[in-house]
Amino acid sequence: MAESATAAAPAEGSAGAPWRGRNRITLAKWAVGLAFWGWVLLRWLNDWLGGVLVPPGEPFLQAAVFTGLEAGVPDAIPVVNDALVGLAFAVEFLPRLVNAMWLTVILTVVSIAIGFVIAVPLAAARVYGRVWAVVSLAYVELLRGTPLLAQLFVLYYGLPWLPTFFRELPWVGAGFLPGQAVFVAVVGFTLNSAAYQAEYIRGAIESVDTRQLQAARAVGLDQVEGIRFVVLPQALRYAIPGWTNELVYLIKYSSLAAFITVPELFQAAGRIASQNYRYTALFVIAGILYLGLVITATNVMERVGETVSIPGVGTAAER
Amino acid sequence: MSDVPLLRAENIHKRFGDEQVLRGVSFEMDTQDVQVLVGSSGSGKSTLLRCINRLAEFEEGEVYLDGTPTSEMDVNELRQQVGMVFQDFNLFAHLTAVENVTLGLRRVLGQSKADAETRAMRELEQVGLADQADSYPAELSGGQKQRVGIARALAMDPKLMLFDEPTSALDPELIGEVLGVMRDLAEGGMTMLCVTHEMGFARQVATDIMFLEGGTIVEHGPPEQMFDHPEHERTKQFLERLTTLHGDHG
Repeated sequence: MAESATAAAPAEGSAGAPWRGRNRITLAKWAVGLAFWGWVLLRWLNDWLGGVLVPPGEPFLQAAVFTGLEAGVPDAIPVVNDALVGLAFAVEFLPRLVNAMWLTVILTVVSIAIGFVIAVPLAAARVYGRVWAVVSLAYVELLRGTPLLAQLFVLYYGLPWLPTFFRELPWVGAGFLPGQAVFVAVVGFTLNSAAYQAEYIRGAIESVDTRQLQAARAVGLDQVEGIRFVVLPQALRYAIPGWTNELVYLIKYSSLAAFITVPELFQAAGRIASQNYRYTALFVIAGILYLGLVITATNVMERVGETVSIPGVGTAAER
Repeated sequence: MSDVPLLRAENIHKRFGDEQVLRGVSFEMDTQDVQVLVGSSGSGKSTLLRCINRLAEFEEGEVYLDGTPTSEMDVNELRQQVGMVFQDFNLFAHLTAVENVTLGLRRVLGQSKADAETRAMRELEQVGLADQADSYPAELSGGQKQRVGIARALAMDPKLMLFDEPTSALDPELIGEVLGVMRDLAEGGMTMLCVTHEMGFARQVATDIMFLEGGTIVEHGPPEQMFDHPEHERTKQFLERLTTLHGDHG
């Protein structure tokens, strides 16, 4: 973990030098994170509200600013010149990419959340059930064992009633709400992610000492209460690191929604590139945005893990 | 009360696969009795305890609590009336000491949070741990954990307490504090069935000692008789060996 490097000198940060050691790294993380998300949110608000600061899709800083700067830099420093040219290019297309990133965020957050609600009983059924364990196993194997893209195609093209169902809901595509393809993609990601999440949670449930449930039963709790109040609170803490992995995967796998016409980040990059043929540059910029999402997700989950941590529970070192 | 014993086990048979662990165990306990169950490792002591609160199912026989066959009772109701203390404590690892005690009060007895906390604090005080109420199990010593375990079981107002080798996992210097709590309980009139190797405790506190071997109760009687004039040579040897090995803590 990134922690280990800073944990080696814990006293440094607290010993009257607040800008050193761990504090300095935390501060840098916060600064970068706030700058990134401040800019992203500002872009979203600007475009949703029809262009408060600049017209929708237009950069806050015109590309000309960078090309102008580039003209002022002597040709003897090519690195700086190249960087400014690159920035001028990025600035031109970032507004549209960030706008599309909204759907990437929505696809991921909604799918992981609903998937989690399905995954917990799925995992519990797998560990404690008999018939339900088989049902759960079959579900997990089917959803993990077939390509996610194939699952999306089946849902979108193979089951015409599903997109039709969403299209006919009056609120789908109205106002802020996206069209039916996004809903179908959320269904696909949710079902798929539930299977993966269930596996992480199952592993965590199995790592909780079985005597914990026995003690709960001995007090008079029934099986379901024992699982709910004793096993799961511990298991879900153990599951956080693995679960974060699934979140990271889902952020990137959400790009597969492009193949069922969802105009998310990956599709936006591809569409712009198909007009100007700058494929490499655009996918590098899209990649950097995905990286921003992923680093945010891992940092948030690390914080969640720290917040809910309990002495003796959830940290591998103490087990 | 009538002369129905508080607990009556009748002809209990229990097998694990091919291994017959209990072969017809019968005994009775009256209210306020302190029975100590001894026997070599693997003789089925823990299994017998678990048959009483039905953490283990058995093939033949019946356990009566207050004259009611436990096979006809709701198992969660039975377990609320029969408290259990485990060898390795089994405190809920994610809950503080006081939360360990309130969980059953709230979820099984349906008490409000405030009522449950008041009750839990009283139990923790009784085992001398009121000041550790907000500590997590990982922050407590073995002896403290076991005392929380006792408080957790007591809070449910059980008619009978089962102790499954409550001091076997403890460092020697921590055994005394747990035995002290158990002794106080016995003096307070709690009915207790204890699996333990602590012969000092058995001699001083037990009303009756049972020697379990080969799946049956070989001999039972008050401590003086069991220690000083056992009927069976095997009982004598076993108790002498235990006394030498485990001495007279507390």
